[in-house]
Amino acid sequence: MQTRNSLEQLLNERGDLWRGRRRQPAAALPTGRAALDARLPDGGWPRGKLTELLPECVGAGELELLLPCLAGLTRREQPVLFIAPPLIPCPQSLIHAGLDLARLVVIRDAQHAFWAAEQCLKSGLCGAVVAWPATDRVDDRAVRRLQLAAENGEAPIFLCYEPGCRPPPSLASLRLSVRSGGDIDLLRSRGGHATGTIRLQTDNVIPMTRRDHAVR
Amino acid sequence: MSGLWTGIFCPQVALQAHLRLEPDFGDPERPLAVHDLCRGRERVIECNRSARRHGVAPGRTLADALAIAPELHSVARCRGAESGLFEEIALTAYQYSHQVALTGDGVVLESGGSRRMHGDMDGLLSAIAGNLEEKGLFVRLGTAPVPAAACLLARGRRHIQQLKELELTLAEWPLRKLSLSTAEMDRLEGLGLKRVRDVLALPRFERERRLGRELNRYLDRIRGRQQTPLVYWQPPEAFHHLLELPVPSARTEALMFAFNRMLQHLEEWLKIRDRGLTALEVELHPEDRGRVTHLAAGLGRPGFQRDRLLELLRLKLEPVRLGAAIERLVMKAESTLERRPPQADLWSGTNVNDAWPALLDRLRARVGEDGLSGLAPKADHRPERAWQWTAPGKTVTASESPPRPNWLLPRPRPCRIDDLRLVDGPERIESGWWDGHDCRRDYWTAHDRHGNRLWVFREYKPRDGWFVHGLFG
Repeated sequence: MQTRNSLEQLLNERGDLWRGRRRQPAAALPTGRAALDARLPDGGWPRGKLTELLPECVGAGELELLLPCLAGLTRREQPVLFIAPPLIPCPQSLIHAGLDLARLVVIRDAQHAFWAAEQCLKSGLCGAVVAWPATDRVDDRAVRRLQLAAENGEAPIFLCYEPGCRPPPSLASLRLSVRSGGDIDLLRSRGGHATGTIRLQTDNVIPMTRRDHAVR
Repeated sequence: MSGLWTGIFCPQVALQAHLRLEPDFGDPERPLAVHDLCRGRERVIECNRSARRHGVAPGRTLADALAIAPELHSVARCRGAESGLFEEIALTAYQYSHQVALTGDGVVLESGGSRRMHGDMDGLLSAIAGNLEEKGLFVRLGTAPVPAAACLLARGRRHIQQLKELELTLAEWPLRKLSLSTAEMDRLEGLGLKRVRDVLALPRFERERRLGRELNRYLDRIRGRQQTPLVYWQPPEAFHHLLELPVPSARTEALMFAFNRMLQHLEEWLKIRDRGLTALEVELHPEDRGRVTHLAAGLGRPGFQRDRLLELLRLKLEPVRLGAAIERLVMKAESTLERRPPQADLWSGTNVNDAWPALLDRLRARVGEDGLSGLAPKADHRPERAWQWTAPGKTVTASESPPRPNWLLPRPRPCRIDDLRLVDGPERIESGWWDGHDCRRDYWTAHDRHGNRLWVFREYKPRDGWFVHGLFG
């Protein structure tokens, strides 16, 4: 056991040694769902990288998917930015998911979504940035700039495209589509081989019928 | 009036007032002059070295000067800009002494009290000169034991600390080195008097009878025989700075340069008043008397950082279309607060505390005051009224509420119940009879054909029907 550990240690010390399939797991943020963590190449949302989400329709489940991770960040006093959300995020629901609203900043300007996201990433002060850019603003230059800005920091950036938007081929490390109902198709994952559908249980909401009183 | 006084003399003040607003002080090879109406004609009053080489000299009429040097660039004298310049010098001087006075052609300050702060007199003088030079002002300094003489000595960069020595030096001076009116000069020359010594040699009574009491009083003041009445200058209560651009311009770079100069001035004012800036307003007045453009920049935390404010102003200026060249700028400190120095992190050394408000300021400058906010729940049972935008970073407490969807539609949308499968509910909400927005609804969780989970309600009051109000997911 002793020799095995020291061999592992020796191999790890060498930065110029490439080892097939045994990738050094990069620092990642746990998604809050074991089924998803197991399928993602880094074992979670990649830090300092761009993740693209393609929801099948508005509110297909992208926020639900990100909330556990975002909530964890805000509880560690890291600010989270929502840039140009398509609808109104419901504060009660966010609190219910464990998000500290004092750490949430919402930018309601779809025009400058890319610019704002880039500023936030460059500052290195944000825990995570989630942006919903308008389809007509999406082009490969803007996405690439964002990817570069993300690489300088620790924060993950999630781009949620409008349904029906055909995003440019990009260098994003992760691209997944969110189906209605919450299932996920892994379309692209840099460095990982697994693609395909991931079934997630989204029915973790307490059924209303269990409540013993109605609000009057 | 004892003590030691330092005079600040600004040579070629009209030219300097013009040049300091040009990046790198313009091109020194370009002949430049300032003209003014003088004895009935437009005459050159000051010119730079290059103009002198072309044969232009102060006193020439503008027409003559342009005939000699056709490439001469001459601007009209702007007295407003000059007095603004003296105000700026006074503000700088005020940082070194509380006794500062404007003398009309310069500024004097009491320096005996503060010289030890800077080691010695030389340290103090180089600090003042260096500070002014940073702002693009080149001055001459002189020291004397009396304020009236300090200004005179500043012209020749003389430094005299003893009253006795001052009297001896002044006695040898030719009369034209004093600041006397032309009429007084003519009268003295008519009497054949050339030097200060000659005037002082006359008996006092005779002097007063022939030359008037005013001149005698002046001679007594510069020699320290009589006190100089001074009106001490005070920094203004509110910051309101006007700047005339020497050459009207709509170029961003030219305007940014002027902003930088104005912010330097503002920085000193804030330091003296011990205030932190929270809101800044800049007005851009176009040449053609057209619409004035307003730029406003706010700081989330009172303070002042010139490069940060410059960046905010640049962000504000970028989207603005300037129709005409701008000739006048006005900068106002719209609101200030007592200054609280930022607290740096003892271990990391970086000021993270300050960086976060700076980021929010930068974002706000581009997306607008309403474009950036925090989110908070509001105590109301009606879901459309149970949320609000707030200032970011506000801590909120929410009472326990039944489960809500992640997304709310801005307004409920009618829907057909046939397409939906009700899964969970109902939650009865009946509220608002007191404010005229009375409603009675039953909320349900429903699935649509694609498997999306919706938050729908059946409304009974004020209208009847089914509506979608939110989306889970």
